Amino acid sequence: MTEAELHQIAQKLRLEAVRMVYEGKDGHPGPALSIADIIATLYFDVMRLKPEEPNWPDRDRLILSKGHSCPILYAALNERGFFNPKVEHFHLRELHSKFQGHPSMHNTEGLDMTSGSLGNGIAIGAGMAYAAKITNRDYYTYVITGDGELQEGVCWEGVNMAAGRKLDNLIVFVDRNGWQSYKSVEFTVGHNNIADRFRAFGWYTQEICGHDIKSIRSAIALAKANKGCPSCIVCDDIKGKGVSYMENNNAWHKGVPTDEQFAIAKKELGE
Amino acid sequence: MTTKYKGTREAFAAAMLDLAEEVKNLVIVCPDSLKAMRAVEFGEKYPERYVECGIAEQCAVDVASGLATAGVIPFVGTYGGFLTMRACEQMRTFVGYTNQNVKFIGVNGGLIGGEREGVTHQFYEELAIVSSFPNYTIFTPSDPQQCYEACKLAVKTPGPVYIRVASGKEPDIFPEGTPFSASGITVLKEYGNDAVLFSNGFVLDRVLAAADLLKEQGINVTVADINILYGKDPSAILETMAKSNQLFTIEDHNINGGVGSYISRLACEHRPAFVTRIALTTYGESGPAKELADAYGFSPEAIADKVKTTLKK
Repeated sequence: MTEAELHQIAQKLRLEAVRMVYEGKDGHPGPALSIADIIATLYFDVMRLKPEEPNWPDRDRLILSKGHSCPILYAALNERGFFNPKVEHFHLRELHSKFQGHPSMHNTEGLDMTSGSLGNGIAIGAGMAYAAKITNRDYYTYVITGDGELQEGVCWEGVNMAAGRKLDNLIVFVDRNGWQSYKSVEFTVGHNNIADRFRAFGWYTQEICGHDIKSIRSAIALAKANKGCPSCIVCDDIKGKGVSYMENNNAWHKGVPTDEQFAIAKKELGE
Repeated sequence: MTTKYKGTREAFAAAMLDLAEEVKNLVIVCPDSLKAMRAVEFGEKYPERYVECGIAEQCAVDVASGLATAGVIPFVGTYGGFLTMRACEQMRTFVGYTNQNVKFIGVNGGLIGGEREGVTHQFYEELAIVSSFPNYTIFTPSDPQQCYEACKLAVKTPGPVYIRVASGKEPDIFPEGTPFSASGITVLKEYGNDAVLFSNGFVLDRVLAAADLLKEQGINVTVADINILYGKDPSAILETMAKSNQLFTIEDHNINGGVGSYISRLACEHRPAFVTRIALTTYGESGPAKELADAYGFSPEAIADKVKTTLKK
């Protein structure tokens, strides 16, 4: 798939994520838009998957550790063919919906792990990666965390463990959009030097623009070629990317577009 | 062949060694607890099936969840409070809610389990915590032999299992080869029906001794070990409860959430009876296990006295 095609898919997923929140009248659009290009590249170019067999033992795994971004993942699974028939209206966060407020692995086909309580994805991913080693499977485990999320101590327990066990089949993306629920990461902890920290913990660490498909692809290729330690790809992202009034506006961490705002989003995302 | 063991911790390690050849996908997950779990031999024999996570219980539980998604059967072994309290959310959300096939061995259960270590390493709350998580099966073996059997049964029990273990210095009660009762109860003494004494865990020898003391005083009781807490089918327990309307529970655990709560619930819902709970209502302190148990109301004499005075009321 070409970079232009992947960009088109990312834009489509963005629109579906915003639509999901607009129709469901609840959810986190800003954090979802931030990772759309990473999700599109993984699900439509990189990951080894069989949508018709979601629990295929040799599939690549993905844990959305920042689970509140799930609208973009739900959109990707839908577009990739995990749901039959394809979903038209997601009924996000509604009673008995397949699409829970935060990802629930037994409710939704294609979800490799439940997530949403921040901090746990790296350690769970380390478990999946370790399992691949001892069961002689060659799947990769991908984890997407937020930069604010890394304030959770358990993240660094997982970072330690993955380095100690030399899990080079584990690739962690950090969505460094600089924001968290209330204010900026910089305000909250005084720094956002994620790459330095991962390197200090013995990880092979790259820094890229998380909206540049070419960079995402090449970083994943380099991460796969790296042996003997886990990989971290720090992605400089824009929270709310793709919708002008949401970009870098933390009011859209959680929020629902009005009819007028949704019309603008549709226009900007190319519908 | 059964590996030799003494105490509950060695019983766990022996069960792991004995299961390892048959259950190829079994691993031990350790937050730097391999030595405490007496499982160094397992780690040396099966280095890739010993998953070291460092001193990081939340990570260990998360790692176990990830392992289980790929069909591996992880046994996470360390201090019970560090699992159920430090890694409480991970046990609840990433193993319980997701219904992963993860087994937990929580050592230092109770005053007797933590003994000289003091309150930071004595745990009397784990059963209350785990029993509030749907999908968990809770095993409370009362001696090393039962601990060995509980570990073996855990492998055959789908979903999350929590096994409460202690210091490794527990007395032997059950004869070799006694299965871990699938009905959740084993009646050990039937002197009479003046009262039924339900116990679990490592005060059982004290409850049996109390029954003998009571017999000498003309009070004839039945003693039963409850080895599965809040199990799916309580019918065998209800049968034993029917022997008397004076029921007693004795446990080295907080008064809330353990066997006392379980029997009270069954009495409320199925078979009204007087239930008197002998359990902890305070934190403990350091001390040799036997002296601690005596000081906190678990001497055979204190148990017998409580039964006697209650029956006289």
